Amino acid sequence: MGKLDLGNWLDERLGLKLISRFLKEKKVPLHRHTPWYYTGSAILLFFTIQVITGFMLLFYYKPTLELANKSVAQIMNEVPLGWIIRSIHSWSASFMIACVFIHLIGIWLAKSYRKPREMTWLSGVILLLISLAFGFTGYLLPWDELSLSATKVGTDIPRSIPVVGIWVTKLLRGGEDVTQDTLTRFFGLHVSVLPIFAFLLIALHVYFIQKHGMSVPVEIEIKNEKPNELPFWPNFVYREMIVWLLLFGVLISVSILFPPSLGEEADLMAPAPEGIKPEWYFLFLFQTLKIFPAKILGVEGETVAIILILIAVLLFALLPFLDNKPAERKGKFVSLIAYLVILYALFMSIWSLM
Amino acid sequence: MKLKHSLFTRRQFLNGLLGGWLAAFFGSLIHPVLKFIFPPYREPEEVVLNYSEFEGMSPNSVKYFSWGSKPGIVQRKEDGSFQVFVGVCTHLDCNVTYLPEQKKFFCACHEGWYDENGMNIGGPPPAPLRRLEMFIEGENLIIKREGGK
Repeated sequence: MGKLDLGNWLDERLGLKLISRFLKEKKVPLHRHTPWYYTGSAILLFFTIQVITGFMLLFYYKPTLELANKSVAQIMNEVPLGWIIRSIHSWSASFMIACVFIHLIGIWLAKSYRKPREMTWLSGVILLLISLAFGFTGYLLPWDELSLSATKVGTDIPRSIPVVGIWVTKLLRGGEDVTQDTLTRFFGLHVSVLPIFAFLLIALHVYFIQKHGMSVPVEIEIKNEKPNELPFWPNFVYREMIVWLLLFGVLISVSILFPPSLGEEADLMAPAPEGIKPEWYFLFLFQTLKIFPAKILGVEGETVAIILILIAVLLFALLPFLDNKPAERKGKFVSLIAYLVILYALFMSIWSLM
Repeated sequence: MKLKHSLFTRRQFLNGLLGGWLAAFFGSLIHPVLKFIFPPYREPEEVVLNYSEFEGMSPNSVKYFSWGSKPGIVQRKEDGSFQVFVGVCTHLDCNVTYLPEQKKFFCACHEGWYDENGMNIGGPPPAPLRRLEMFIEGENLIIKREGGK
């Protein structure tokens, strides 16, 4: 009786039954592409790990020129288990972005962005950009030689955009050059601005998914037979938990075996170290910029490259509106573009490592 | 004794197993997190000071030094002998000050009083000031935890 009363008491005030009823009724289509559905929750798993380990690192990290590198060294060498917490944060970031890419490829190939899911796609594109911004801002925080150089290069890239570019660079750097102000800005973005928008957009993204239900891939849908379904709670969640456990195990293992290094403290006056490379998920962009010649038809090569990249990002964001065919159409051409983009990214990434 | 009926159903057993396993899993995660959040307090084994800075102290005066992250107090008594304290009130951790006119240590936070030997004599402090040991070795004044030679 007491238990029931507490349940009712809470429900009267919070309306929890609405959620539990929804979860009981939610179904997940069962077909041979069902494993793609796990990619979204895998992102959430790594995001949660980022939030928790991020809070923990915040207890010791000090975002100043004098102390940034030293405080990370302190986390690595003195704080109990600090090295593994930083290692998990660093690896989980990579795992999360890898899952974001896989999630994206699945949705692209399945054409899950088509009507009525255009807004789900758009919110996902913004979340992708936020994820990359998380990676870019977080990379500077240890304030070692590599992170300083990568940030100098990265924040200099917008400068080539005509008219507005220089202001973007100044906005990112907090002035003409990378200084303490840049570190403060990146720290603020990384721990405050980006998280707020990430939470907001994740909430929207998940809401859209619940509103429209799970998308079924085109090739299953055109068979015109209703696919089998699995109750979301608890059947599908239990399966997801198995996936989470496996991913968590892999994450902890690589974090223990391959902790990230911490380079020499950055010196604003020192020459750039050799062989600077951005994080792996920026390599294809890095290489793209590298292969453009200095001048193309009298225009700066970099300007051309960046404008092309911006156009590509815009087209990518507008994909649901460009490919607005009815859901039954296979969209072989769109798939072909997806495969070409994957090939291009892989090829450029490998090339940049050679 | 053999029971005719099982005390719980197969479902209850499996749910308990899963729930218990989840609880154990998250429990095992809490330990490293707590370990990270609460770093051990590292009190210095010893602090080595330059004796020449303390040699000339006038009687009934004190000099401060850093005992880790707390203030340490070297006190020279009227008779010329030295005493060393951790200069932190035993009530609620405020730093104490020495009042030479009254020959007392005073904590301003809650008006705690200690006599010149660090004994708590007035106000809320529950215990005497913590003492440290000092040794003079040539040029050096070495300060150690009490009993830690």
